[in-house]
Amino acid sequence: MIEILQWTTLAACGLVALARIPSAVRGKNRTLFYIFALMTLAILLSIEGPYVAIDRALGGLNVANLILRLVIFAAIYFLGIRITRGFGATDAYRLITGRIGMAVLGLTSLTVVAVFLMMDTQGSSVGMTAVASRNAANAPLIAYYGAAGRAYPAYVSLALLPAMARAVTSTLPVLVRVGAFLLGTGSVAVALTLFFPFYPPDWGATAKFVINYSAVLCFVFGLALIGLAGLLYGKSAPRPKTSTEK
Amino acid sequence: MPIPAKAFQRWLHGVAPDASTSDVCRAAGIKRSTLAQQLVRGKVAGATVVSISRAYNINPVSALAQFDSFRQLADVAPQPTRAELVSQISTPDLLRALLLRSVAGAAGPECTSGGGGAGPGVHGRTAPVLEPPPHATSVRDWVEAIDDGELRHRVSAATGIAPQNYSAQLTANRLTPELAIATALAAGVGAAGGLVATGLITGAEAGWPPGARQEALDTMTDGELTTLAGERLQTLGRALRRQEHDQERTDKIWENLG
Repeated sequence: MIEILQWTTLAACGLVALARIPSAVRGKNRTLFYIFALMTLAILLSIEGPYVAIDRALGGLNVANLILRLVIFAAIYFLGIRITRGFGATDAYRLITGRIGMAVLGLTSLTVVAVFLMMDTQGSSVGMTAVASRNAANAPLIAYYGAAGRAYPAYVSLALLPAMARAVTSTLPVLVRVGAFLLGTGSVAVALTLFFPFYPPDWGATAKFVINYSAVLCFVFGLALIGLAGLLYGKSAPRPKTSTEK
Repeated sequence: MPIPAKAFQRWLHGVAPDASTSDVCRAAGIKRSTLAQQLVRGKVAGATVVSISRAYNINPVSALAQFDSFRQLADVAPQPTRAELVSQISTPDLLRALLLRSVAGAAGPECTSGGGGAGPGVHGRTAPVLEPPPHATSVRDWVEAIDDGELRHRVSAATGIAPQNYSAQLTANRLTPELAIATALAAGVGAAGGLVATGLITGAEAGWPPGARQEALDTMTDGELTTLAGERLQTLGRALRRQEHDQERTDKIWENLG
């Protein structure tokens, strides 16, 4: 079940990235292509098979997991910039790119890297679950590592959320509002990852998987939908009828 | 609320006893599939009855009045008020009238409006024929023309429609026939007026005398006309500004995320 979810997410994200290649070549919104490419890479690195293969090639020290965290940071940062710019959410834009946003980004990145270096990370294991259980010293460290890794995406998502809520209730075209709703849902899902340590143990890994992947899917489909809306009634469409016309 | 299929079939049988469904559709200019769908759903649109009655030379208002949800149309309707008539003149027509008056005012000392009883086109100078209703904001203008300040309240109390849904229909220049009649009743004006404003029927079909709108326009003083035109322009300007603002926002979204 989880495997299916993982591979479909990978396929969806990869397809959207591929679909953006022509416009990226033309130089139109190239960052969007990079965002989708980064997201595809992140999903690839969170699936067991590819993760182990890549990490072994990198020395079996779970460096791939560190890369995964930083790739997510980069993707969410650019995503935040594009979305806040697009929706004209200057407050959220400032929260992400301003001094506070940069401080959060720097702090979480440093924490992730530092904690990673402090751990004994031998032995490729997706999500570093095996690393956590191997020795007692690693267990608290890996908790901090995970928390820092979730903190930055959650920060950006929370900054996005009010702007998305405004867009959903606005008078924008329906497809854009549905897209904004999906982006908002994705933001909520990412924010929920903050509370992973407090989930009842019997929810197990499934709840976390579902939340993580629905967040990614919501973001991908939301952006794809907005892009599609742009194609449908973007440039070629006539301006909306004014009431002076008869 | 809408016309039940059974009642419609009975009425249609009375109107065109020998005609097949496809004959009726051809004569009335409705798609067969549209009518079939309405019959299957058991709800026939008022517009369907109107088109068929026109095709068979029946007054659409009296045809509609035979159905339960439209029976108020059968009552003897009071003549439309002047405000109602003027509300059904499009903004461009109002502005043209205003300009003509100022030209006339500049030419002679006394502005010669009036000339009661004259239909459009009869006046030498105020010649341009008024566009028939509906116009771009005819529904809202009609409701505003008959609103005593509490009308929306009474309509929503009488029909159970939420005020914001009612406003949304007015903004979209739409009003279901049932609501249009309920609105007219709540305001105490002729029941068919709203159907004219929504474009379901013509003014003549509603019993408005020919040239009534032109006459109503002519009886307006320069001050009244100018004020009304100003109000219309202000509303139009606001709507246009809102549209432009929305357009700017969507353009920006596609610039960044398209």
